Amino acid sequence: MDSEDEMSMHDANDAESLDDDFYSGDGADSDEADITMDYEFIDNDSDDSDDFPSHHRSQLNYTVLGEADILQRQEEYITQVSMVLSISRIAASILLRHYNWCVSRVNDEWFADEEKVRRVVGLLEYPVPLPDAKEVTCGICFEMYPCDMMRSAACGHPFCVTCWQGYMSSSINDGPGCLMLRCPDPSCCAAVGQDMINALALREDKDKYKRYFLRSFIEDNRKTKWCPAPGCEFAVDFIVGSGSYDVNCRCSYSFCWNCTEEAHRPVDCGTVAKWILKNSAESENMNWILANSKPCPKCKRPIEKNQGCMHITCTPPCKYEFCWLCLGAWSDHGERTGGFYACNRYEAAKQEGVYDEAEKRREMAKNSLERYTHYYERWATNQSSRQKALADLSQMQAVHLEKLSDIQSQPESQLKFIIEAWLQIVECRRVLKWTYAYGFYLPEHEQAKRQFFEYLQGEAESGLERLHQCAEKELQGYLNAEGPSKDFNEFRTKLAGLTSVTRNYFENLVRALENGLSDVDSHGACSRAASSKSLGGGSSKARGTRGKAAASKSSSSRMDDSGHWSSSLLWKNLVSDRPAGAVMKLADTVKTMLDVGLPVGHILGQMRTEGRWKDATR
Amino acid sequence: MATNSNLPRRIIKETQRLLSEPAPGISASPSEENMRYFNVMILGPAQSPYEGGVFKLELFLPEEYPMAPPKVRFLTKIYHPNIDKLGRICLDILKDKWSPALQIRTVLLSIQALLSAPNPDDPLSENIAKHWKSNEVEAVETAKEWTRVYATGA
Ligand SMILES: [Zn+2]
Ligand SMILES: [Zn+2]
Ligand SMILES: [Zn+2]
Ligand SMILES: [Zn+2]
Ligand SMILES: [Zn+2]
Ligand SMILES: [Zn+2]
Repeated sequence: MDSEDEMSMHDANDAESLDDDFYSGDGADSDEADITMDYEFIDNDSDDSDDFPSHHRSQLNYTVLGEADILQRQEEYITQVSMVLSISRIAASILLRHYNWCVSRVNDEWFADEEKVRRVVGLLEYPVPLPDAKEVTCGICFEMYPCDMMRSAACGHPFCVTCWQGYMSSSINDGPGCLMLRCPDPSCCAAVGQDMINALALREDKDKYKRYFLRSFIEDNRKTKWCPAPGCEFAVDFIVGSGSYDVNCRCSYSFCWNCTEEAHRPVDCGTVAKWILKNSAESENMNWILANSKPCPKCKRPIEKNQGCMHITCTPPCKYEFCWLCLGAWSDHGERTGGFYACNRYEAAKQEGVYDEAEKRREMAKNSLERYTHYYERWATNQSSRQKALADLSQMQAVHLEKLSDIQSQPESQLKFIIEAWLQIVECRRVLKWTYAYGFYLPEHEQAKRQFFEYLQGEAESGLERLHQCAEKELQGYLNAEGPSKDFNEFRTKLAGLTSVTRNYFENLVRALENGLSDVDSHGACSRAASSKSLGGGSSKARGTRGKAAASKSSSSRMDDSGHWSSSLLWKNLVSDRPAGAVMKLADTVKTMLDVGLPVGHILGQMRTEGRWKDATR
Repeated sequence: MATNSNLPRRIIKETQRLLSEPAPGISASPSEENMRYFNVMILGPAQSPYEGGVFKLELFLPEEYPMAPPKVRFLTKIYHPNIDKLGRICLDILKDKWSPALQIRTVLLSIQALLSAPNPDDPLSENIAKHWKSNEVEAVETAKEWTRVYATGA
């Protein structure tokens, strides 16, 4: 039995039962309705063991098209138009190209004014035969030729075969405009169709023309786009106006159909564009960051990061273990401390000032570049970690899986959980990367949101590090083993569990950020009334206070005065998938505070300044 | 002379016809060293600001000709919204509307027509076009002045 399923089932049930009492008597709020639906999403998703854990197959609003699919569709369109309009397939394809492959547009225009359409597109109703003479002069080379050496479009303007070939060649080599080729006679606009190209053009030109013809179907059509991944030849047909723009190509690249940048949930296209522009503007200042090495905080030798995980061990004899991001000792980072990494916390890093680098940075604390640097560095680090994870994934699929299967005497089908873990890592690195652009644009004055955001991000980061560590370093042990390891099944359970937990956490995180952290009140002030309401339900279990929280929420409008994210709703969202053990110890602590009605941002800040953070989470 | 050895029949025929039946107000003769290079003269059309001027141009037939258009530019300075400081000409048939069935003769006739009918809506020279649109009388005066200074007695 797969423990992942067990766990998910349990959590999904848990979540549903919570929703039931939470929402009884208050079904009007649309936001809340959304979240209920989201739970059902998770429920569905956790049951299927899919290669793409973060995508909901049943909900796809796009189709990935390979070359064969494209050609087939193209043929279908041409057949349809040729039948409805009773015209040749060549004429139908000329029309379709002219009207951007929109069948309904072709029909509309044609039946509204056939004569005009024929004129515009260059389709003659009655073909004109070649001049009735023994010899004719070619209008291009001025040579006389016997009539059977001459060819013409439907207009009858004769040109010799060689000149046609040259004419087609120069047009085809000029670009996709060759698809609209007309008779060479300057006063004539008769279309030159693919039949003539096939009969007269050079082989290489014919091939190029065919390519343009295929491309036109994707590029001129508003519903389709090519996958932007380098070298990828798939296209995506998207149902415009159907929600999320995220598209997952068959080549495994995910991109945003709207702006064709790499998939960037939870940030929107505008933010991505701003961020990319910002990066290019700042790139000169950023060069030093892009350098792939950092000095070891202990021995100062330059260390190159060669693994995806942030846990770095300096080369012997130093062997100092530290965190790549903040250069802090790894002993302050590990699971022992509850899995919380302070390194994502920009404000905290400034206050700590433990290392020289941090000292130097503090001097420029007011410098906005420093602020940008903070986010950019983490954005870029996650980007390269993601690239590394992708490479590791393909290495895993190509080499290691088979080796592991041999060593551990496990059929490869039983090792799918490893691939799933790596796919999840890749996806999480992507999300995490974009949370840094999100953080950069989150207004400074929205204190409560910022604090909460950083907290969520920190949790996401530590969850992912845990998964990454397990999939990278722990797996190594089983790969290097002499024979089957006794605890391999435990490893399977652990990695599959971590994958599932991390997936849910990230999905919820994305939703929370996409909603603009709308459950966090932006004012950051703590209201007594709200606190006492929450206090009334004062158990340490969240479910005990649900009803109260809901009451306080529904009794006031959206502008709740409670001074923190008003109900435990969002929290419940984020930690709904609670695993056993240490994973959510910190979560428990903060949750308890929430249940007691304390504003979490305030508490987090206080704990941090008092240095009680780590104690409290033990 | 090597460049002239394998000159396409078409170019030879066009050249012969240009010399034997020149179009009114236009002369074009190939250079002796390179039969693809033509010295061109166009008379400013009557009732245009260029009347009375003699405008020198150069015309070159690239290797791809007639699949690619000839390259033409004014050598004489001219004040015209579709011609820039370097003498380059904004004319559709010299660009995307080129057809191999067009000829040197048709190109030069089109340029002559452009002198009769400047088109400030499709300008090559922004400043002159602006001038033309804001104060046509004054712009025409400038064009006449330039014709007198640069295109006569040369
Ligand atoms: Zn010919
Ligand atoms: Zn024709
Ligand atoms: Zn692709
Ligand atoms: Zn986008
Ligand atoms: Zn070291
Ligand atoms: Zn760190």
